[in-house]
Amino acid sequence: MSLTKYGFSQTVSAFFEMPTEMTLALLPKPLQPLESHHGSSIFAVTAFDFTESIVGAYGEIVMAVIVPPLVRKGGGFPKSAFYPFRLGTSTPESRAHAIERWHLPHHMADISIDFAENDGSMAVAVKEGDAPILDFTVTEHQWEVVDHLYQCNMNDDSGRYKVDIHMQGEFCEHEEERGSLTLYDHPMCAGLDPEEIADYPFRELWMRGGQQLFEDLEKL
Amino acid sequence: MEAPKKKVKELSATAAAHSFDDFDHSNFYSGSSDDAFCMLDPMDEWWGTRAYGAGYYQFGLPMQTAPLPTVDIRETLGNEVLKNLVNFSSYNYLGLSYRPEVIEAAVEATRKYGLGASGSPVLSGTMELHKELTDKLADFKKKETAILFSTGYSANLGVISGLMRPGDTVITDQYCHASVVDGIILSKAKVSFFRHNKVDDLEKKLKRATGKKLVVVEGVYSMDGDLPVLPEIVDLCKRYDARIMIDEAHSAFIFGENGRGVAEHFGLEDEIDIHMGTFSKSLGGIGGFVAGSFKLTNYLIAFARSRVFSCALPPGITAGISKALDIAREEPELRKRLWGNVHFAQNKLREAGVDIGDSESQVIPVMIRDDKHIFSYAEQLIHEGVYLNPVRFPAVSKHRSRFRISISAGHTTEQIDRGCDILIEVLRRNGVCP
Repeated sequence: MSLTKYGFSQTVSAFFEMPTEMTLALLPKPLQPLESHHGSSIFAVTAFDFTESIVGAYGEIVMAVIVPPLVRKGGGFPKSAFYPFRLGTSTPESRAHAIERWHLPHHMADISIDFAENDGSMAVAVKEGDAPILDFTVTEHQWEVVDHLYQCNMNDDSGRYKVDIHMQGEFCEHEEERGSLTLYDHPMCAGLDPEEIADYPFRELWMRGGQQLFEDLEKL
Repeated sequence: MEAPKKKVKELSATAAAHSFDDFDHSNFYSGSSDDAFCMLDPMDEWWGTRAYGAGYYQFGLPMQTAPLPTVDIRETLGNEVLKNLVNFSSYNYLGLSYRPEVIEAAVEATRKYGLGASGSPVLSGTMELHKELTDKLADFKKKETAILFSTGYSANLGVISGLMRPGDTVITDQYCHASVVDGIILSKAKVSFFRHNKVDDLEKKLKRATGKKLVVVEGVYSMDGDLPVLPEIVDLCKRYDARIMIDEAHSAFIFGENGRGVAEHFGLEDEIDIHMGTFSKSLGGIGGFVAGSFKLTNYLIAFARSRVFSCALPPGITAGISKALDIAREEPELRKRLWGNVHFAQNKLREAGVDIGDSESQVIPVMIRDDKHIFSYAEQLIHEGVYLNPVRFPAVSKHRSRFRISISAGHTTEQIDRGCDILIEVLRRNGVCP
């Protein structure tokens, strides 16, 4: 097994409830959303500040739906599984790399991702030029060093894929409902009705000073 | 919050693959596979290698006594019987489950009618005892009639799925009980959760609701011990032509001047369309009921499938509940004692700096907000003299873990004082309160 490493200074993530009927429109078959409540699925927004990778430093925003993990006898058991349906990055090189190697669906323009930390909270502002895409905030809880396994699902014209991803670093998470989300009218937010998506995260996750290790891509 | 100074280790890629340290039941809820048993092995591994010994063994410890104010509990990890623990865990709010008159009524009915009802309430399972209890309940609740269910869970399931249909909308407080949610799932109506007690969010959801509309709230929220903002909710329901149902599982027989519940407490009994309650809390038995009009109950008798297709309440239980209801009505001093105990416990804990949230009732959360350490605190408590169940994710939000104290009229002041002293000492020792 080979590992592809991405070092980061910040990984900020928040989970929002969205109607399952909206989620189903974003998911390719046979993926199903994991529901937080009956009728409510999980829209996950994650912003990365990558400081080290084979394509240099860059910023990335990932919009994903949480799905049930693929479970195999004797395989690793992930903390959770994602289906990223839209990504944006700050450099053309990082975009080309992620599309070629991981089959991840991208918005094909450079975006900027600003991280502003203030008194225990992190505000993330994502823009394309002057056009806002989304803003979200998370707040901190008790920090601890962790090594988590996640599963990422991809789907494009060439087929279905899965990759296991290890996230290592200082981490905190909570469900105190202190964060926020604002979605703007932008192509990256197509199919996301702000009136139907919660404007506060039910779970806030924050990792810093760590690394993301991708295992080998697997075609399903 | 100060960031830890620990350096991040270079962990191996496979180290996390079988590390279950951060897992909980929610991780094993759903998996994708061709095998219906695909989650059994991962969960079994988590349970055996991490969860059970790490503290999950503390759930469901076998009680050696009745749910009295003090109890003996077998701690299954060390297989030791711990004696005379202050019982802050049982929801026997009026102390009726062990009253001699209640037990005697149950024994007598069992001798006369046998162990079970041997039939659905719509067929052969209805006995004279059930009719008597129904009439007493209707009289107590000041409603035309009432119907009985074999559990509180099945009451919510039957009422909601019996009334609502695909295309309708049920709007419920996010903290409502699982039985409310399961009733909605069974009804196939659209569900909408509003933020706990936030009427602006409820209004937003009501504006978007389609079909028949039902709003469901609880009398006392079972994990927080607070009440619904009922006047504002009732007002909104009227403005948007929504029916309103109140689940008084934790408030029936103790709230209000006559004990009729939180609807009585707010003076809104006639504004509520569906009054649901249970017998397992304040009356110390088991079962659920709905009190209302003949039209409502006739409809539910036909379409509440959880009732139609379940055996009726056992005769002994029915007679015991009937006697417990008599006592609750005849001895208002029980409610007075309960509220005295509640105020004593709340004041003592608040004065000690213990975070008990917004509790307004006999359900008193002790907020720990630390999923990792709550099992250790529970272990210390049970070995030092208090039986108190930890509550953690996914029963409550992540890192909103807590202990849930249930106060009873059966407790003496000395018992509550002793239990709170032990609790405060354990919390202080662990840096949870000042």
